[in-house]
This record gives sequence, C-alpha cells and structure tokens, in this order.
Amino acid sequence: MKDIFLLAYRDIKERKARTGLTLLGIAVGIAAVIALMSVGYGFQQSVTGELVEMADLIMVLPGKASLGSEYVELGSFNERDLKDIERIDGVKETATGASSMEEVEYRGEKTVVSIVGIEPRDVGVVFGDMVKTEEGRFLRDNDHKACLIGHSIAKDYFDEEIGVNDRLKIGGSKFRVVGILEKQGGFKSELDSEIRVTRRDAKSILGNDGISWIFVRVRNIGEAEEIADEIEERIDENHKLDDFTSAMTMGSVIDQLKTIFTLLQAVLIAIASISLIVASIGIMNTMLMSVMERTHEVGIMKAIGAKNRNVLSLFLLESGIVSVVGGVLGCVLGVLGANVISIGIGAAFGEGIPAIVRPEVLLGGIVVAVLVGVLSGLYPARKASRMSPVEAVRYE
Amino acid sequence: MIRSEHLNKVYRMGKIEVPALRDVSLEIEEGEFLAIVGSSGSGKSTLLNMLGCLDKPTSGAVFIDGVNTASLNENELAEIRREKIGFIFQQFNLIHSLNALENVSLPMFFAGVSSEERMKRAAELLAKVGLRERMHHKPSELSGGQQQRVAIARALSNNPLIIIGDEPTGNVDSETGNAIMGILEGLNSEGRTVSW
Repeated sequence: MKDIFLLAYRDIKERKARTGLTLLGIAVGIAAVIALMSVGYGFQQSVTGELVEMADLIMVLPGKASLGSEYVELGSFNERDLKDIERIDGVKETATGASSMEEVEYRGEKTVVSIVGIEPRDVGVVFGDMVKTEEGRFLRDNDHKACLIGHSIAKDYFDEEIGVNDRLKIGGSKFRVVGILEKQGGFKSELDSEIRVTRRDAKSILGNDGISWIFVRVRNIGEAEEIADEIEERIDENHKLDDFTSAMTMGSVIDQLKTIFTLLQAVLIAIASISLIVASIGIMNTMLMSVMERTHEVGIMKAIGAKNRNVLSLFLLESGIVSVVGGVLGCVLGVLGANVISIGIGAAFGEGIPAIVRPEVLLGGIVVAVLVGVLSGLYPARKASRMSPVEAVRYE
Repeated sequence: MIRSEHLNKVYRMGKIEVPALRDVSLEIEEGEFLAIVGSSGSGKSTLLNMLGCLDKPTSGAVFIDGVNTASLNENELAEIRREKIGFIFQQFNLIHSLNALENVSLPMFFAGVSSEERMKRAAELLAKVGLRERMHHKPSELSGGQQQRVAIARALSNNPLIIIGDEPTGNVDSETGNAIMGILEGLNSEGRTVSW
C-alpha cells in the first residue's frame, strides 16, 4: 500500500504545475463553500442571538404583520385593550408605545423622523438591559418636553451633530435632548433613527392617545404562543374585527428567521457549488490528460503484469491525493476567507458579523473534496485500466 | 511449454481487413532457444504478442504451460504475463519517471512482493546484467544498451519460465546487440525458454 502511494506521489511530482493548479481549483471551490457557510451562520447567529434574549416577548400590533411582508396598520389600540391583556394569565408585564412620523427641526434644518412615545419605565420591558446610552440618560417619568434620540439622529440626520442639552423642535414645540443612545445596528437598528419622548408628550404631539404597539413579557416562554392567540382573540373582539390584531411571539419570529436563513444558506451553497463543479471538471480534465499522456506507461504496466485493479487504484489514488490536499488547503483558505469577509463587512457597515466556522462544515468540506476527487477521477481511471496492453504499449 | 493451434489474427482498419497471422500452429519445448525470422510486416510481432498474452487471437488458441489462454479473463491473463512470461521489447519500454531499480521491481510490486525483498532482488538482477553502478539512474540517463539490460532485468524479476524478446537488439548497435544476445543465451542455459 505504501508503495502505490509512492508511485502515485512520483507521478504527481512529475507534473507539478498542472497538479498544483488542479489542487488550487478544488481548494478555491471548497474555500468558497466554507467561507460562505461560516459567514452565513455567523450572520444568522448575530440576528437570532439577539432575539433569543427576547424570547419571552410578544409583539402586539394593530394590523397585519408577518416577517417578509409589509406591515399594514389598521388602526390603534386603546387603554381597554391594554387592561384586557394585563388580565390574561401568565402575562408578566406590558409596555406600550405610540409612534408616528413627525417633522423635526434642528438649527433651522427640517426633516421627518419617527417619534416614539413610551413610558420611561417600559424601556426595560422591551429591550431588557441591552440598550445603553452613549451620552446623557434615559427618560424619566417626570420629564417634560424631553427626548432621547437615536445614534444616527444625533450624528447623521442633520448637518450639525446634536449633543445632550441641545434643543429640537418636534411638531412645533421645543424639546430638550436628555440622552443619546449607543449605536445599535442589526435587529435593533431602527432604534438608531428614532426619537423617544414620554407618552404624555407624545399625546400632545400626535394629538391622540392611541397605542401603536404593545409589548408583552410572559412568565413562561412555553405559554407564549397560547397567550399570543388569546391576545389576538380578545382585542379583535373589543374592536369587533377579524384579523385586526397581530400578536407575534419572538419564538415564531426566530423560527421564521431561521427558515429564511436556511434558504439563504442554500442559495449561498448553491452558488459556491458552481465553483466546486468547475473544480471537479478540472480534476477530471487533468486526470484524463494524465491518462492520455501515460497511455504508453499504462501499456507497459499491463504488459508486465499489472491487473486492471492495480492501474485503477493508482489513478484513483492520484486524484484522491490531489483532492484531499486540495480539501485541506480549501479549509484553511475558507476559514481565512470567512474572517476576511467578516472583517470586510465590519469595516464597510460599521457592524461586524462574526465568522462562525463549525467543525462539521470543515469535515464536510474535506469529505466533499474527496468525493469530488474520487468521482471525477473514476472515469479517467477506468479508461486507463481498460486499455488493451498491446495497443497502449504501441501508443507513443 | 508454449503451444499454438491454428492461430489467426486479422486487424480491422475501417472496412478493410488485414490478415496478420494465418493458421499458425507451433510448439515450443521447455528449455528451447527459438528465433522467429521473417521479413518486415510478416507478423513476427503479432505472433509474439499472442504468445506473450499481450493480445488475443481472432481465432485459434494459445496454450501456456498447458492452460488455454482463450478461456482466461483479463486479470488472469495479467497474472500469466506477470508470473510466467518476461517480455523484452524493441523499444525497451521502461517507465521514465522511475529509476532502473524501481523499473525492475515494478512487476514484483504488482505481484505483491514486499518492498525489502523487491529492492534486494532488483539489485541482484541489475548486478547480473552488469548495471550495479547504474541502479539509481533514470532511463533518460542510460544508453540504449543499458536501457535494454534494465528491461531484461525487469523481464526476469518474477522469475518467469518463458522469455519473449521482440527484436531485443533492434535498437542498439551490433556490439551491444551481441552482448544482449549473450545474456539471453545465458538465461537459456539456466533452463529458461527463450523465443525472439
């Protein structure tokens, strides 16, 4: 066995450049698959990871809402709806908010921004401890005409940056900036471009006390789906409308996201697989050329007593060696590539996606490489092994 | 040792049939030293290819050591070539990427002989044909006569009973040719059947 390895190795060494290029072909194919899978998985983790922390949350919206389709607001909730929700068994706490797009003026410059009215104590219900201020503080219950602004509002929306204690004109009345949130990005990126005021101030800006959304935290995550169904039923009843309310548990959102990511991964792998197919054609081509070139040699081997099996295993071993080495090299390149993409995305969008390289992906990469190598080596190897010795020897 | 019965070989070139052998029956005894003579294109090589189990006849049969080769499959024929026949070609037919020692040991490799034993026997055989000093040279670094001697050593590696040479001196000068004939005669005197 050792000797046939040696023989195969000798043949490979004779054709360094060509073998090297074939090997590179496989390596690039495998690397592409591994890099894309790792980045895709990292992306999935960075999005669903945040959501998992909010798994006990139910988002209640007055309208048709589902992931991937546009949200259509059908109206607003009222205090009775909120009371009804709070009475449901298993509901731990609730938070309400009202939001609308309003004109905001800063130092003579005007733009339209999403204004969110929220009870200051409710911030924790929605986001837990995940959101922090970069400067200043959160809103307090007794704040009047005060606002907490997102990172992008402060830095990008106006020509001049907004600082704590600066004044904005929202819907005609002046507000003092008490805090600026840290940059969020990812799933919470909408926080970056919102201005938060107290519910009381929101009422005066919006001119009504309708509720745009209710967040519900449940005691037991296992009951979340049931509670969500009950919420939809009760509020629909209050408003005498079918399908008025959408109560989405974060669990269902995570499931929907996972489906989307699985699809995304499949598309990425399909694209990367093209390079693998090209690589396997490359191996087959190299091996076919090698077989043609060595027809004479195969003839000699058969003439001096090599069985078909001997010739077959020699050629298969050659393509096997090339593909294993290519696969390992591909794994290394893939891990490097994944990190480069991850850093590149971080540099381009200011927000990093971790490259998560799973060991089973690496193992899979090597297995695929070997499979590709052996399968594409099989046809040339069989062709070599079935040559007639007398014709092959005569071939020059 | 070798017997052929009514051997016929027809080459097909497109639609034209070219008969190369017509009804050849012969018998070669053990220990015989036999020369096959004929003009160019008379079918000497074709006949030797049949007798050496490199090619199959269109009709008729070849018996090697009493076994009808027509009844054997490809692998069994490979085994006969490996164990019973040493074939020496006019073109030497050494493998260029392997050195003399490795070329000689190759048939033993296919026979499953251990690496150590292979190397030992290959070295002995090369010494026997006078190439003790050239064992690690590749064919391209050897003269025609030396290459043919490597080929003879290779033909002997599995200790065959029959040596078949297809114009083994055809590609070397007359002096080297005489030396090669000397080696073949020596092999014959050891009891091997030699035809060429």
